[in-house]
Amino acid sequence: MSRGPLLFKDIDTPGLAGLEVYRGLGGYEALAEVLAKKSPDDCIEVVKASGLRGRGGAGFPTGLKWSFVPKDTPKPKYLVCNADESEPGTFKDRELIEKNPHLLIEGMILAARAIGANVGYVYLRGEFAWIQRILDRAIAEATAAGLLGPSVAGTDFRLDLYTHLGAGAYICGEETALLSSLEGYRGQPRLKPPFPAVEGLYRCPTIVNNVETLMNVPGILANGAAWYRQWGTEKSPGTKIFSVSGPVKRPGNYELPLGVPLSTLLNEHCGGMRDGFRVKAVIPGGSSVPPLPASLLDTALDFESLNAAGTYLGSGGVIVLDDRTCIVDALWNITRFYRHESCGKCTPCREGTYWMAEVLERLERGEGRDSDIALLDEVADNILGKSFCPLGDAAAMPVMGAIRHFREEFEYHVTHRRCRVNRRREELDALRSAPAAAEVTA
Amino acid sequence: MSAKTVKVTINGRAIAVPPGTLLTDAARAAEVHIPVFCSHPRLPPLGACRICVVEVGMPRRDRDGSPVLGADGSPEIAWMPKPQTACTTTVADGMVVATESPGAVRARKGVMEFLLVNHPLDCPVCDEGGECQLQDLAFAFGHDFSRMDEAKRTFVSEDLGPVVKKEANRCIVCMRCVRYCDEIMGEDALTAHQRGVRTEISSFDRQPLECEQCGNCIEVCPVGALTALPYRFKARPWDLRQHVTICPWCSNGCSVRLGVRGTEILRARGTEHRGVNQEYLCARGRFGYSFVSAAERLTGPLLRLGGALAPAGFDEAVAFTASRLREIAARHGPGSIAFLGGEKLTVEEQYLFQKLARTLGTSHVDARTRLTAPLPGDAILKATGGGRPALSLEELGSAGEVLVLGDDLQGEGPFAQAVLIRGQHQNGLHLTVAHPRRVKLARPKFRGEWLALRPGGEVALLNALARAALDLGEPQGMPPGVAAGLPALRQALAAWTPEKVERVTGIEPAAVAAAARRLRETPRKAIVFGRALVEHPQAAALLQAVENLAWLTGALTAERSFVMYVGPHSGTQGALDMGLVPDRLPGYLDPADAAARAPFEKQWGVALPSAPGMTAPEILKAAAGGRVRALWIAGDNWLRSAPDRALAEQALAGAELVIVSELFLTETARAAHVVFPAVSFAEKEGVVVNCERRLQRTARALSPLRGARTDRETFQAVARALGAGWSYRGAEDVYREIARLVPGYRGTGWGTMLPLGPRWASDGAAAVAGSLAPVADAQAGPGVLAGDGLWLLSGGVLFQQGSLSHRVELLQKLAKGARAFFGAGELQRLGLAEGDAVVLEGPAGSLTLPAAVDDSVPPGAVFVPYAYPEVQVNRLGAPAGAGLRVKARRAEVTARVGA
Repeated sequence: MSRGPLLFKDIDTPGLAGLEVYRGLGGYEALAEVLAKKSPDDCIEVVKASGLRGRGGAGFPTGLKWSFVPKDTPKPKYLVCNADESEPGTFKDRELIEKNPHLLIEGMILAARAIGANVGYVYLRGEFAWIQRILDRAIAEATAAGLLGPSVAGTDFRLDLYTHLGAGAYICGEETALLSSLEGYRGQPRLKPPFPAVEGLYRCPTIVNNVETLMNVPGILANGAAWYRQWGTEKSPGTKIFSVSGPVKRPGNYELPLGVPLSTLLNEHCGGMRDGFRVKAVIPGGSSVPPLPASLLDTALDFESLNAAGTYLGSGGVIVLDDRTCIVDALWNITRFYRHESCGKCTPCREGTYWMAEVLERLERGEGRDSDIALLDEVADNILGKSFCPLGDAAAMPVMGAIRHFREEFEYHVTHRRCRVNRRREELDALRSAPAAAEVTA
Repeated sequence: MSAKTVKVTINGRAIAVPPGTLLTDAARAAEVHIPVFCSHPRLPPLGACRICVVEVGMPRRDRDGSPVLGADGSPEIAWMPKPQTACTTTVADGMVVATESPGAVRARKGVMEFLLVNHPLDCPVCDEGGECQLQDLAFAFGHDFSRMDEAKRTFVSEDLGPVVKKEANRCIVCMRCVRYCDEIMGEDALTAHQRGVRTEISSFDRQPLECEQCGNCIEVCPVGALTALPYRFKARPWDLRQHVTICPWCSNGCSVRLGVRGTEILRARGTEHRGVNQEYLCARGRFGYSFVSAAERLTGPLLRLGGALAPAGFDEAVAFTASRLREIAARHGPGSIAFLGGEKLTVEEQYLFQKLARTLGTSHVDARTRLTAPLPGDAILKATGGGRPALSLEELGSAGEVLVLGDDLQGEGPFAQAVLIRGQHQNGLHLTVAHPRRVKLARPKFRGEWLALRPGGEVALLNALARAALDLGEPQGMPPGVAAGLPALRQALAAWTPEKVERVTGIEPAAVAAAARRLRETPRKAIVFGRALVEHPQAAALLQAVENLAWLTGALTAERSFVMYVGPHSGTQGALDMGLVPDRLPGYLDPADAAARAPFEKQWGVALPSAPGMTAPEILKAAAGGRVRALWIAGDNWLRSAPDRALAEQALAGAELVIVSELFLTETARAAHVVFPAVSFAEKEGVVVNCERRLQRTARALSPLRGARTDRETFQAVARALGAGWSYRGAEDVYREIARLVPGYRGTGWGTMLPLGPRWASDGAAAVAGSLAPVADAQAGPGVLAGDGLWLLSGGVLFQQGSLSHRVELLQKLAKGARAFFGAGELQRLGLAEGDAVVLEGPAGSLTLPAAVDDSVPPGAVFVPYAYPEVQVNRLGAPAGAGLRVKARRAEVTARVGA
């Protein structure tokens, strides 16, 4: 059964990670033709026309980004695939590479050709060691088959691909921090401008694209922009892989055309909520974006509609929060993540995430004060837009969004000095207060 | 400067600034204060602390590019959605900036509040309190109460070596220290550990720092996270009197702000916005001042009347000195009196010292006591362009190609080294370092070229470079007088075939050719040399060879000089300028020229000798041979600085009168008949000239130690007792006379030297025209390579240089005791292990030191830093020919010496 129209069409084919199966399904078929018939500039134009936007979270138009690479520079150019998938709630890239590494390689060949890069790096998050092995094997296969190396598919275009494992920092998903890390420096974002397209890896022109973005490229270049635009909306064409987590019946990765309502994703594809659970809120784009309350479930999943609803499409990590989840607790969890992952470069993010986590902890402990909600909101607002890179915004937005939609839950924490909904905590407390009983059952 | 400017409006004030200016700098020009922490003028923008957030807008433009006008006719402004950091934003034409708009104020207050979230606010026990930028800005921009009442994250404080104290709790992670250490010091000693709120600055291995211990990390720290251990809890800044003066530790002439309480210098800091160095200081310049208030300072004159030196009154000492000098001059002629030393004096004192000598009728006056062979008094001037406008340190840092000849700038001119490292890091400067040892600047991390010069191959290398430069074509820009020497030089250089040069120097011909090509073809170039050439037995030849190379590569032109001499002392250049050389009057005037003599004779009221006197090495020999009967040694421990200790001892023992002006009772002073107690740099005013020939005022930070006199007073008192009518009321009086008489100094005055003095250059035509002349290498035969024994390499090191550093306890501790350094292979060959006592035997004597491994020392050589009190390098014998060779063997007593 096909799980999606494009990237997920054959994803579950056994042996797809091997070159033979991939080729059997038409992989690398159009490569030689595209390389022969389309000039790099043509390729950029096609990708521009397709309206493909970055699938890593920011949604920047891919073709436009490619066109920023200077044409007349003596410096080498680099293509970097961002596979540092570390946004909480997002797990699409790992399935994509794990099952279909050759599609990524094909995408990277075409992208590298378009921007004139002869070296490409795949920056994998530190925990993806097994994926690195899969990808390395695929790269070796492709190299042996003449698809990589000095003469890609028989042309005079050279491309060497290397994989690199990160060391476990969320910030290295930010493209400039990724480049610092790849160069061997401390993983911290760099000043932009100059943007990586002009001065990136080793101060040379560099394009950093997400795994999913690059995997869309072969289809677009083989079939044209209009073909790609049959999916999605005018401004958000194509499909998107959504990683759904939470108490739905069938969590997992789903490839849907952009513009499908969130409720469709949850009810039709994920089979609705597990019995006894109701949706309280949905974080639609990874933990960095503000949550949508249950009342906004009909919002279409595309860049524009979600922006209008006060949140973002982000990485497509759809986190479903049920009615037994305490928003404050969930937020505390998310904020602890950002406190832990803030790289420490800029003041607002470094200090603000720490402070927010401390205040949330106090609220959760039942020691909150009336002023804490306003304080939390203000601290988040002081981070928002003042931090060096979007990590600070990512930490601030969920807090501000949660306060906007679920203020009464925060107030409940302050006035009742306890949580209204979190059964888990109470169950744990009960367990703790009756140790004898627990022992008996054990 | 480009005439193009862009218009920016900051808080309603319109100013025009060059394109590319950062908003923080533009704001300064508009007299608007934008606070900064992580931003630093010597470091590239970082944008991390976010305190400089401002609101920025641009005029809204139509499709055709014309500005959209609002209802009132003024351009409509499109404000950026987020506040921007002023320290990273460059100006654009028409840009409008608001630092006091509600949005900007709110953003700034927010950042200020964040900065204090985890700051311990322990100002009462923090050394930075009172001069802390965080304190000041919190006061200016922050809230008056803290909303943060959670537990703060804490770190344990650390001592990072003997100099740096770290209180990480106070750190605001601006990374200035880490970046400064990397980009300007080239040390890479600091790093940030962990991340986020747990980010902590420390050494990489969390062990005490193994670095230059410059303390610049402390200087640039905007808070009290890094403080100086030597100054810890000693004073509050408002208790200190602060005096800006010039550092005495080398010839770079850094401005230093001394913090004085009572009679003690408690600390020294850079000056931030003035001086050649601004915030930079090296370990010596920052922590090397305890000698000033040392208990061993001389507090009164000493006279040897019977057998021993005994305290005497100043007048008594002056009268005795004058009468003995008069007596000796009468009996043996004034030519039996010699004046030595003076490289640590101010220009005024140097001037008076030689005036005293020449008034007495002797020309035997030489400050260059370390010379191993006679050297004309204008040789260094000639090699550095003969008074043409000289290379400045700033130009040095922005050069494209720099050739460093024979000196380890880490010891001899630490600031010059920092200038070069910063240039390499930030301006694409390329270094070529010719040195037998792989000194710091020659390390691979600075991406330069190391010409691993074999000792003794100096002349050969310079000739080879000159030949390679000449092979690239006829040099341009030489004045006709210089160009006249070209045919002869070309012919002589032909003998320096690449094969021959490789045999003598050990350097591949291709490397020589490439270095010459870089030097010749890079538009902005510079050549730096120091004492290694000047104190070489073939100094005269080497300096001519430097000049040849400079002309041939364009480092010297008819208009400019891009050659710099980094001398060993703060007064080295001044001593040359002031005629503390036997063959030149002040201003390099030739005493044989009656017209040049005339103004001095008129002013001084005496007839001056027209014949040149003896140079320091000649004086040494003459004194040892009994031909010089009286010696006056000023500020120079001659027994250590003379090239041959045995001769110097003989000279002092045989002389009828030895007068020593000193701070301490040095070995030389112990051998004197009269000792005058001098004052240190901090107790007197005057002018010093640095290596870029900049005239700088020194300030009196302390009143002179009771009983000590400035050399000016001593010289004047003796001169008056000898019948000269000197009546200077102060050092400035002396300077006025200098400014009247000395070419290059004319028209200058104390008043024109603040905040940064002018750099002197000859009025009109260059003082010395310059020349090209063949240079033969007396030593370049197979003999250079044959001989046996190890080449003795010596020189100053960072923590021990000159004759005072061993009197500073901290520097001595950092220097870790004297050792003889060998390459690992050499040590093994000698059958020695690190720490074993090794005897170095020279032609005249021997020296026993612990052996140590230093892989920067090449095979066939031993490196012995000279400035340790226990090292008397000159006991081994005087270097001759290509240098000095010693034999190394295990000491008889197998016990380990030293630590």
